[in-house]
Amino acid sequence: MGKEKIIPIIAIISLLIGISSSIYVYATSPSISSYTEGDKSIIINNQELTIEQIFSDAEIRNIVTPDGINFSGVALDDLITKANVGCPSCHEYKIIAADSYEKTVTWENIQHGVLTEDGTAAFSDLAKTFRVRYVIKIEVV
Amino acid sequence: MNKMKLIFGVILFGSLWGFSETIIGTYLHNTSLPAGSIMTGVFAVGLMTISRALYKQRGMQLGMGLVAGMLRLFNPCSTCFICSAIAIMAEGLIFEVAWYNLSLDLAELKKTTMMASMGVIASYGCFVGGYIVTQILTPLSQSAGFHIENLLVFMPQILAKGLPAALIGGIVVPVALLSKKIDIAGVKDKVYYPFTATVSATCWVIVILNAIFILKII
Repeated sequence: MGKEKIIPIIAIISLLIGISSSIYVYATSPSISSYTEGDKSIIINNQELTIEQIFSDAEIRNIVTPDGINFSGVALDDLITKANVGCPSCHEYKIIAADSYEKTVTWENIQHGVLTEDGTAAFSDLAKTFRVRYVIKIEVV
Repeated sequence: MNKMKLIFGVILFGSLWGFSETIIGTYLHNTSLPAGSIMTGVFAVGLMTISRALYKQRGMQLGMGLVAGMLRLFNPCSTCFICSAIAIMAEGLIFEVAWYNLSLDLAELKKTTMMASMGVIASYGCFVGGYIVTQILTPLSQSAGFHIENLLVFMPQILAKGLPAALIGGIVVPVALLSKKIDIAGVKDKVYYPFTATVSATCWVIVILNAIFILKII
């Protein structure tokens, strides 16, 4: 098969991958719109808590991320401790977003992290890649 | 083509690419536009296509990626400078691989469908490849480390985000290939060298001044 056929075929395959991935993402991540509109709740160590519950009884921390942005929210280590995680420093924590984005962090990172009122997890010791918006779950790994 | 002329060309186009990544890219990221797709589809792939059409040399775009990546290191607006720089270099490498089997005079790319197809392939490949490289390298440089499952679960998002870049590339490459008609070898040395050197130096000076200005603010 000549280049005249292969090149357009590869281009079409690339577009099809992009289109099908977009459809898949759209179909499997409907929770972002409901997340921003509805009452937010987050599952931490298998316990479902609303943002109001989380903020009503937790230590507030202010951090500055390495790219110079200020975040104010609930201290993640305080949140984890109150979620009855045994030996918090023995585990890693997977922070999962409504759009399926997830990042696994250490207990040391958690001690530098906050969960904001709009459901963003940010860390003063980690790059922007580790900033997770629309947090729906924190799994103990 | 004279080797010195080629080296000056690599520095010129690499500097323009690095300049666009650091200066224009920073401002685009603060808008609601798809900054990553525009940066890859218009600037990265556009500049690499123009250089390939003008100089008709393989390997030049990898060199451009190295120059642009080095310039990116001067931008203090990201946590992992080296990761962004390596991602740019990876884009140069991916472009080289995608265009490797084409003839030096790009005779295959006469029809608009062929040009647009190469644009789609190069832009999609560069965007997705660069994104994956960043998602691996940045965590590796951080205390949290890299977890493959974090990347795998996000792959559909990365593949979906590449679609605008592919579409932009499909438009930009046919336009960029119009530069095939320019005879760069015919440009007189006394015009070519001062021009390329001045433009390249200007890009570097602006990026370095911008870095100093931002560091003072921080």
